Amino acid sequence: MDSVTLEKLLMQVEKPARYIGHEWNMIEKTEYDYRFALCFPDVYEIGMSHMGSRILYHTINLLDGVYCERCYAPWTDMERALRAAGEPLFTMETKSPLKAFDIVGFSLLYEMCYTNILTMLDLSGIPFRACERGESDPILLAGGPCTVNPEPVADLFDVICIGDGEEMNNEVIETARRAKREGLTKRETLKRLASIEGVYIPAFYAVETDENGRFISIRSTEPETPARVKRRVLRDLEHAPYVGNQVVPNMSIVHDRVAVEVMRGCTRGCRFCQAGYIYRPVRERSEETLLRQAHELVACTGYDEVSLLSLSTGDYSQLRTLLPRIIDEMSGQRVSVSLPSLRIDSELRQELEKMQSIRKGGLTFAPEAGTQRLRDVINKNVTEEDLLRAVTDAFEAGWCGVKLYFMIGLPTETDEDIEGIADLARKVSRCYFSIPKEKRGAGFRLTVSASTFVPKPWTAFQWSGQCTLEEIRRKQQVLRNAMKGVRGAELHCHPSVLSVLEAVFSRGDRRLLNVLIDAYQNGCRFDSWAEHFKPEEWEKAFLKNGLTPDEYAYREREVGEPLPWSVVDALVTESYLAREWKRAGAAVTTRDCRQGCNGCFGEQCENYCGISKR
Amino acid sequence: MRIIAAFQKDKGISYTSHLDVQRTLQRAFRRAGLPLAYTNGFNPHPKLSFATALATGFSSDGEWIEAELERDMDPAEWMERVNAAMPNGMRFVTAFVADASIDTLSKMLCCARYTVSLYPEEPITRERVQKTLSVLMESEEIIVQKKTKSGVKPTNIRPEIIEAFVTDGTEDPVRIELLGSLTVTGGLRVETFLNALYGRLGVSGFASVHRNALYFTGSDRLPHLA
Repeated sequence: MDSVTLEKLLMQVEKPARYIGHEWNMIEKTEYDYRFALCFPDVYEIGMSHMGSRILYHTINLLDGVYCERCYAPWTDMERALRAAGEPLFTMETKSPLKAFDIVGFSLLYEMCYTNILTMLDLSGIPFRACERGESDPILLAGGPCTVNPEPVADLFDVICIGDGEEMNNEVIETARRAKREGLTKRETLKRLASIEGVYIPAFYAVETDENGRFISIRSTEPETPARVKRRVLRDLEHAPYVGNQVVPNMSIVHDRVAVEVMRGCTRGCRFCQAGYIYRPVRERSEETLLRQAHELVACTGYDEVSLLSLSTGDYSQLRTLLPRIIDEMSGQRVSVSLPSLRIDSELRQELEKMQSIRKGGLTFAPEAGTQRLRDVINKNVTEEDLLRAVTDAFEAGWCGVKLYFMIGLPTETDEDIEGIADLARKVSRCYFSIPKEKRGAGFRLTVSASTFVPKPWTAFQWSGQCTLEEIRRKQQVLRNAMKGVRGAELHCHPSVLSVLEAVFSRGDRRLLNVLIDAYQNGCRFDSWAEHFKPEEWEKAFLKNGLTPDEYAYREREVGEPLPWSVVDALVTESYLAREWKRAGAAVTTRDCRQGCNGCFGEQCENYCGISKR
Repeated sequence: MRIIAAFQKDKGISYTSHLDVQRTLQRAFRRAGLPLAYTNGFNPHPKLSFATALATGFSSDGEWIEAELERDMDPAEWMERVNAAMPNGMRFVTAFVADASIDTLSKMLCCARYTVSLYPEEPITRERVQKTLSVLMESEEIIVQKKTKSGVKPTNIRPEIIEAFVTDGTEDPVRIELLGSLTVTGGLRVETFLNALYGRLGVSGFASVHRNALYFTGSDRLPHLA
């Protein structure tokens, strides 16, 4: 694209810096024979905040002769400008169209960004369905957490990478690159890719359905393909490449800081949490490596904030020694340290005080449910006592902003559980006001956030029906009433229509692709952005295809019923999940697996669970 | 130590806002290991200020800044180290140590020179632009509707235009050299001038703008009009 054409486009959009590239540490290559477009189906400031994409940008570009460029979903103003000008979507680095790439890979982090994939393909002149694409079209690839149920978008992609990507992705690229050099056809190339662990080639599987179109089974049609695709696990996090010289955006983004990944996986076993199941087993990085990475990242980016990232940083085994060290070492360079998710106990109080001396922020806690009974159901092993002690410590250390996250619509929930949310909020509020004025910070803010529970595949709740829209709305009203008079509190209830759609796509099957394409053609874009979400257009798309959201979202599945995502072996066994589902029903908790193995990997325990013990 | 310096901003990185540029420079200084001095107080911020902001989308040959450094150093070395940490498309081209006798840049700023490349939606000859521009420049008043806090107000921008002419050279795009006043209290907005020009030409279109120079009064060390 020439510079005048580009400038004309940039003048028409609200945030042109989203499209210009030219960031510090952006990788520039002149000699390459294989091109990979790393696509993120949301806007730049979200995509650039995604750590997985940062890792892949680095690891792919480590390959000599391969150039990985980035591309993000254009905001609606840029989409309009591109269409009006008849120009294709272009990458950040060389402003090339996606069609010019050998592989176009998408990160799937959230089901509600699926329409944006279609926007990006459409603006690139690439046919949606794999079967409609020819030899000259790029290989379309997908990765990311949503691929543990790849079925709703399976027919879009040639290759789906399930699990940790940093090794698998490069194996895919190198194999496909060799195949290109040998002049193989796409089909022959895919056959080679099929033997890489974690790789799913949807075209090589046949789905059997009943007379109503409901999923019965999926089986491989080629000898090269495994019956089930095993989720790929990175065995050595400690020595794995990280983000390299992190790209520093020219505009502010959502997570505008450097982050070190202290560990991957979580041992808690919260029954609703997909990440908790699909990133097992826990693998940690050593304290020394993390400190070194933090220093390197600060030096090469100029950022003044380091975040310690993981699903549950409070559980990192070396946190007690790492935290004071990293705070000390960073404060000398005016760099602050933040923890995105923290399970606070009183021994961390000193560090809390230190952190606050650098930068003051809010503290976030996620009790998820309002009563102990329901917290036992979901296996969120946090007691009211834990929470109240933690907030009291925080208030006494001078913090005055607290956020509490809850879900409503959880299995077995009653109105008593909903009212319990307000009770807990009231107690937290009282904790603050019971501290003498001179000992607490001024300006108390308590934010209570209630999202709608979405059952996810590969969790103990994968069989659960979702609470109906009407019921969720009623529960939200119960909560609003109960929250009245809680001093200093503000309640946010998340819109629930979107949660239903999320539930549909997270446990959906291949029939949904038609719905997705129709919704896209009806104008659906950026569905997770309230101002763009068009529920009535989605409704039309379902109707047109003779499907209803209800059967996907609300129906409780029988244990043993064939599930569309069974083509994936996410390593945690179905029988383990079923046992957890049963225990949930009886409100029986399961211990944190750091306290002893619960056998979630079944027969593969030695092979996988062992990683974290070595 | 107070340092005064000018940087270039190329077209490729020009679609970043003034706020973005401030952040970019601060980070570049940190990467270069040349931290700025910070203000004291509850929320310390680095001592860095600009002669003026550059509109998003404008490239420039000389954007002037002043900064307070934590320690003394040779300006040439400072520039070399900072440039090694600047993103592709931005670089410092001059730097010197300034004592307190030099006033604040924004106070000394008086005008700015631009090259404006016209991309009208329908073709226009160089002659027509030339003619329209000279008629425009000969008028005593150029009234435009300016948005202010109290609504839209007719404003005469003619006094803010010091000089404007079509440059020699290419037919496509037609280029205009524009010298406008620019001070701490206001000055010519290039977009306003362009709206007036396109209005008189009776076409719509867009323009690519480059700032050639900022001019100051009161110091020989800064660019000034002869």
